Amino acid sequence: MLTTDRSAARAPVSVPTARRRVPPAVAVAGGVAALVVCAALSLALGARSIPLPTVIRALTGSDHGPDATVVTGLRVPRTVIGMVVGGALGVAGVVAQGVTRNPLASATTLGVNAGAGFAVVTAIFVLHLARPVEFMWFALAGAAGAAVLVHALARRPGDVDPVRLVLAGTVLTAVLASWTTALMLASQRTLDEARFWLAGSIADRELAVLVRVLPFVVVGMALAVVVAPSLNALALGDEAAHGLGVPVARIRVLGGSSVVLLAAASVAVAGPVPFIGLAAPHLVRPLLGTDHRRLVPACFVVGATLLLAADVLGRLIARPSELETGIVTAFLGAPLLAVLARRTAR
Amino acid sequence: MSAIVIARRRTLAWCAGFAVLLVALVGVALSTGRLHIPFLDALRALFGVGDRPTVLVVQQFRAPRVIAAVVAGAALALAGSMTQRLLRNPLASPDVIGVTGGASVGAVLVIASGSVPAALTPVAAVAGGLAVAVLIGASAWRSQVSVTRLVLVGVAIQQGLAAVVNLMIVRFPQELAGQALQWTSGSLYGRTWTEVWVAGGAIVAVAGAAALTHRRVAVLDLGDDSAGGLGLDPRRARLGLLMLAVVLASLAAALSGPIGFVALLVPHVVRRLAGPPTPATLALTALTGATLLLGADYVALNLLPIHGLPAGAVTATLGAPWLLWLMARSERRSLT
Repeated sequence: MLTTDRSAARAPVSVPTARRRVPPAVAVAGGVAALVVCAALSLALGARSIPLPTVIRALTGSDHGPDATVVTGLRVPRTVIGMVVGGALGVAGVVAQGVTRNPLASATTLGVNAGAGFAVVTAIFVLHLARPVEFMWFALAGAAGAAVLVHALARRPGDVDPVRLVLAGTVLTAVLASWTTALMLASQRTLDEARFWLAGSIADRELAVLVRVLPFVVVGMALAVVVAPSLNALALGDEAAHGLGVPVARIRVLGGSSVVLLAAASVAVAGPVPFIGLAAPHLVRPLLGTDHRRLVPACFVVGATLLLAADVLGRLIARPSELETGIVTAFLGAPLLAVLARRTAR
Repeated sequence: MSAIVIARRRTLAWCAGFAVLLVALVGVALSTGRLHIPFLDALRALFGVGDRPTVLVVQQFRAPRVIAAVVAGAALALAGSMTQRLLRNPLASPDVIGVTGGASVGAVLVIASGSVPAALTPVAAVAGGLAVAVLIGASAWRSQVSVTRLVLVGVAIQQGLAAVVNLMIVRFPQELAGQALQWTSGSLYGRTWTEVWVAGGAIVAVAGAAALTHRRVAVLDLGDDSAGGLGLDPRRARLGLLMLAVVLASLAAALSGPIGFVALLVPHVVRRLAGPPTPATLALTALTGATLLLGADYVALNLLPIHGLPAGAVTATLGAPWLLWLMARSERRSLT
C-alpha cells in the first residue's frame, strides 16, 4: 500500500565527480574569502553601522571609542559564536548525510534539533533554567535520544532506508514540537524564557557559553574527521563497505555521535537554527566532489559562512531591530528542502 | 446474504456504535470540569432546561468547545479521507502536507491584525489553506503524484510555516504571542459561539457538498481511463474535489488549529472497520473523527496533570506510533 519509491531515493547522494568544475585550490580560496567577507560584514553592520577602518583599528586595539567598544564587546563574540555554531552545523549535516546515505538528512530533518529543543524547554519548565550556559547537558540528552529513536524507527534488517529515516524524523519532530508547544502553553514563564531561544539566534550570547560547549564541538569535529574516509566507502552501500573492510556499525555509531555532539552544542548556544546543515553539503558537493575528507572541512567553512550571512541579513532586514537568524535560515531553507525533495523523490 | 449486504450491515452497526459513543462523550465532556454537573442535567442544560448557573456554564463555556471539537473532528476526518482517496495515497492528508498549518497561520494573522471581525477568521483560514495547497500543487504535482515527494514537499512547507509562527511568537507582545502559539498548536481552548456558528455552519455546508459528490469520487476510484470513459473529466473532477477537501480542512483549522493525525488516521481506522468506501463509510468517517477529537480534547482538558495542554498534543502522541506502525507494516508487506 504505502509505496515509497526507494530505488529512486537511493540514487547517488551527490553529483558525480566528473562534473567538478573548479580546481580545489580555487574553491578553498573562494570559500575562505567568502567567510572573511561575511565575518567583516558581521563586525561592521548592524543597528549601528561602523566603517571598516574603525573595525580594524578596534581589532588591533588602537581605538577605544564607543564604536570600537561595540565591535570588541558585542560583535566579535557574536561573530566568533556564529562561525563555530555554523561550522558545527555544516559538519553535522555532511556527516549525517554520509552516515545515512541520504541527501535530505540533517539535524533538522532527522528530529535531532527537535529533541534538543524539547529537552531544553522541559528543563526550563521543570528546573526553572534561564541561561543558555545551563542548557548544554539537556540539549545533548535530547539530541542523543532523538537520534537513537529515529535510527531505531527507520531500521530494517541490515540497512537503514533513507526515505523512512526522513519520515520517521518528521513524525518525531511533529510529536516533539507539539509537546514543546504544550509546555510553553502550560506556563507563561516557560514561554517567556523559551520563545526567543527557540527561534534560533546568536545575538547577545556570551563567549562563556561558547567556551562551555567547545569541548563537545572539538570532540564532534575530531570524530567527523576520523570517520570521513570511511564515509566514502559507506557511500557504496553497507555490503560494499563491509567488503572493503570498513566496520560499518562502528562507523555509524561514531558518525552518529559526531552529529549528536555538534548539533547539541550548536542548539545549546544558539537554539535550533534550521537548514544550515542541510544546505552546506549541497553547496559544497558540486564544487569539490564527493570525497568526505574534503567535504568535512569545506562544510565547516560553508556552514560558518551561511550562518554569518543569515545573521547579517537578519540584522539588515529589520533595522534598527533584527530578525532572528533561525527565522532567516528557515525562510531561505524551506524552498531549498522542497527543491531537494523533488530531486530526491523523482 | 451477499457480501455487500453483510459489509453494509457491519458499517451501519459501527456507525450506530460510534454515534452512541459520541453522545456519551458529549455528555461526559459537558458534565466534567471545575463544576461537576450530573450527566443528564448537563444534557438538559444544553437545551436550556435547569437552574441558571448550570445552564450558563454548559451553554456558554462547555458547549461551544464540545461542538467545535465534534464539527472540526468530523471535518478533518472527511477531508483526510477525501485526499487519501483522490491522491491514492495513504499518507496524503491535509495535516501531513501542511494545509491545516497554513490555514491556522492565516487565521492567526487576521486575529493579530486586530481590526477584523471574528466572523472573518474562517475566510482567512481558507485563504491560508488554499495558498498552501496551490504551493504544494505547483511544486509536487506531476501526472502521478509520488508519495514521497508530496510528503517531503509538505515537510518543507511546514518548516516554512514554522518559521512564520516563530516570527510571530518572537515579535508579538507577550499576550498575543501566547495566543498565536495556542492557535498554531491545535487547541480548542476558549471557543465562542460566533466562531462555532460561522465555521461550523460552513463546515456543514461543505461536508454536505462533499457527500453529494460521493458518486463522482467512486467513479474516479475506477481509474482515470474508466472515469473518462464514463464521461467524467478526471483531472477537473479530481482538482475540484481536492479543493473541496482543502476548504473543509481549512475550516476545521479555523475552529481547532492544526490538529495533527486525525485526518491521517481516521480513514485508516474506517478502512479496517468497514472495508471499501461507500456512502455509509463516509458517515462512519465523520463520526469517528468527531469522537476521536472530542476524546483527545477531553483527555487534554481533564485527565492530564498539566493544565492548558492543547488537544493537538494528545492526538500527536496517539497518532505518531500508529503512523510508524503503519509504515513498518506496509514495508513488510511490500517486501514479501
